Amino acid sequence: MGDYEYSMHPYFKEMPALGKGLSRRIEQNAEELKTIEAEIAKEVERVKNSGKATEALNKKGELSAWQRIDYLVDPGTWCPLHTIYDPANNEEKNTGVIDGLGKISGKWAVIIASNNKVMAGAWLAGQADNVLRVTDIAKRLHLPLVWVLNCSGAKLMEQEELYANRRGSGTPFFRHAELQKLGIPIIVGIYGTNPAGGGYHSISPTILIAHKNANMAVGGGGIVGGMNPKGYVDEEAAESLIEQTRMFKATPPGRVEIHHNGTGFMRDVCDTEEEVLDRIKKYMMDLPAYAKDFFRVADPAEPKFPAEDLYSLIPFNQKRVYPMHEVLARLFDNSEHMEFRPDYGPEVYCGLVKIDGYLCGFVANNQGILGKGYPRYADYQGIGGKLYREGLIKMNEFVTLCGRDRIPMIWVQDTTGIDVGDTAEKAEMLGLGMSLIYSIEQSDLPMMSIILRKGTAAAHYVLGGPQANNNNVFTLGTAATEVYVMHGETAAAASYARRLVKDNDESKPLEPTIHKMNDMIKDYYDKSRPAYCAKKGYVDEIVDLENLRKYCIAFVGSYYQNPVSICAAHQMLTPRVIKG
Amino acid sequence: MANLDSPIAGKILEVYIKVGQQITEDDELFIIEAMKMENPVYGDAGTVKEVNVKVGDRVQEGDTLAIIE
Repeated sequence: MGDYEYSMHPYFKEMPALGKGLSRRIEQNAEELKTIEAEIAKEVERVKNSGKATEALNKKGELSAWQRIDYLVDPGTWCPLHTIYDPANNEEKNTGVIDGLGKISGKWAVIIASNNKVMAGAWLAGQADNVLRVTDIAKRLHLPLVWVLNCSGAKLMEQEELYANRRGSGTPFFRHAELQKLGIPIIVGIYGTNPAGGGYHSISPTILIAHKNANMAVGGGGIVGGMNPKGYVDEEAAESLIEQTRMFKATPPGRVEIHHNGTGFMRDVCDTEEEVLDRIKKYMMDLPAYAKDFFRVADPAEPKFPAEDLYSLIPFNQKRVYPMHEVLARLFDNSEHMEFRPDYGPEVYCGLVKIDGYLCGFVANNQGILGKGYPRYADYQGIGGKLYREGLIKMNEFVTLCGRDRIPMIWVQDTTGIDVGDTAEKAEMLGLGMSLIYSIEQSDLPMMSIILRKGTAAAHYVLGGPQANNNNVFTLGTAATEVYVMHGETAAAASYARRLVKDNDESKPLEPTIHKMNDMIKDYYDKSRPAYCAKKGYVDEIVDLENLRKYCIAFVGSYYQNPVSICAAHQMLTPRVIKG
Repeated sequence: MANLDSPIAGKILEVYIKVGQQITEDDELFIIEAMKMENPVYGDAGTVKEVNVKVGDRVQEGDTLAIIE
């Protein structure tokens, strides 16, 4: 029992059971999935090991960004995001920041740290977009944002890639202002030298805590020293630069004596690296949050079946179908659920479930044969993964109900698209897909997505995908994830079918076109792999199957920590509609 | 005796059973390739009395794939 009794216990204390024990382990499938997970882990290690050695930083008395996060975050709660995100294909292989969700002093926060191992935490190409993703998470979940800042400013050799533009490196400062306008605090711990962009990163949060050697300034020593305006560098200019640089290295602008003792911008100054993090922990204690049991509807419970089963249940072979409800049974508390309209729209699962004792709405693509006579509007058989009329109507209803009842949602995508052809058009697929987009936007709910396997065609958008900018908090991928507009073979056929006809009509050899088609198929394959999806930002992190529930817990717990709007459990409609 | 009918039209990709074999309801008996997907076919627990299809056969929805006792 938690700290309180629970409301509406006849509905939520014990829900109907879902799933059954695994009949057999499929070792080869598990091995294939784990091989991909190991490749991703290697990418993560490569990012962690890039730049200066941790030992070299430690010798200088500095902790690395990872060490700082490790010290800051409550054990076992860290859920990293964007670890291998690198949309600009930087030589550094990441965007220069490390971020994720984690608990500090028992409260969820969005946490972002400058990677001080690489160019002293410089702005790299792609970093602004990474920071915007992070500020978006804080905004959607109404969570505090914690910066562990150590930012040397722009990588000047590539300024054209990162300084300007609508979503450029200055945009996060406006986002910080926006978060504060929305009542979301930003806490920053400041280390090292933070000139220019680093200076604005330092000053834009709500509370500034500085390490004693930190500084922050409009411009760093290099700019303050200036240049003799000749338009070129000669020996005299170089000598002058050497002298100025020596001087400002010793006394960089914006030190603690200026911005703590003088302006008072820095609220606290700490003697050690750890003390800065301890101060952040203290401020986190003072931030508003509901007690963890306040919004719970039942005691938290682990699923009845082990997460390891997922390695046997989710086929690595993308063509092989599988029982989605068995996957879900490995995510839900006590493997219980209340399914919404199970006899309607069989291609999708919609249900109310508990995650760590909190209510959550789940939507997932059922897989496999849908039964005789479905879809009802057509004389052909339907198959799971595709969306048809009833499934789209059902999801529209479910999203609308969850929105009304303020229940956060998690989407599990494995979709090949929405039904096509004139019969499907007459059955209003286009309009119903767009209706679902409207329902999601209208719900104003935070949502999380898992691209379990395929994220394809417009279905990837309408199923709570990351394109739902005002709803989707983050999107996870797995070792089985593939994201593309359509399968490579379909795309090759769509692109070259007419060319083949033309070649054939003109009695030309088909081989050159066939070759191009096969190149295209391979290109689609290479550019839809899990690592590629994470690097490009199609997903926010590739997560081991065994850790999916951990992220669900982080998302749902974050949502209920300090929600901006609430619905009393006894005023909810969704459970009543399900019960009938 | 129960007929195990094909739930969908398609091509037999795998046959995992033989006459006389004991099966459970969790056993995959056939894989039918249909609509670009590989669909496992399950049956009731029992003993396989007849197997009416082989790999590569095309089947229609409702065709009897096997008889289980």
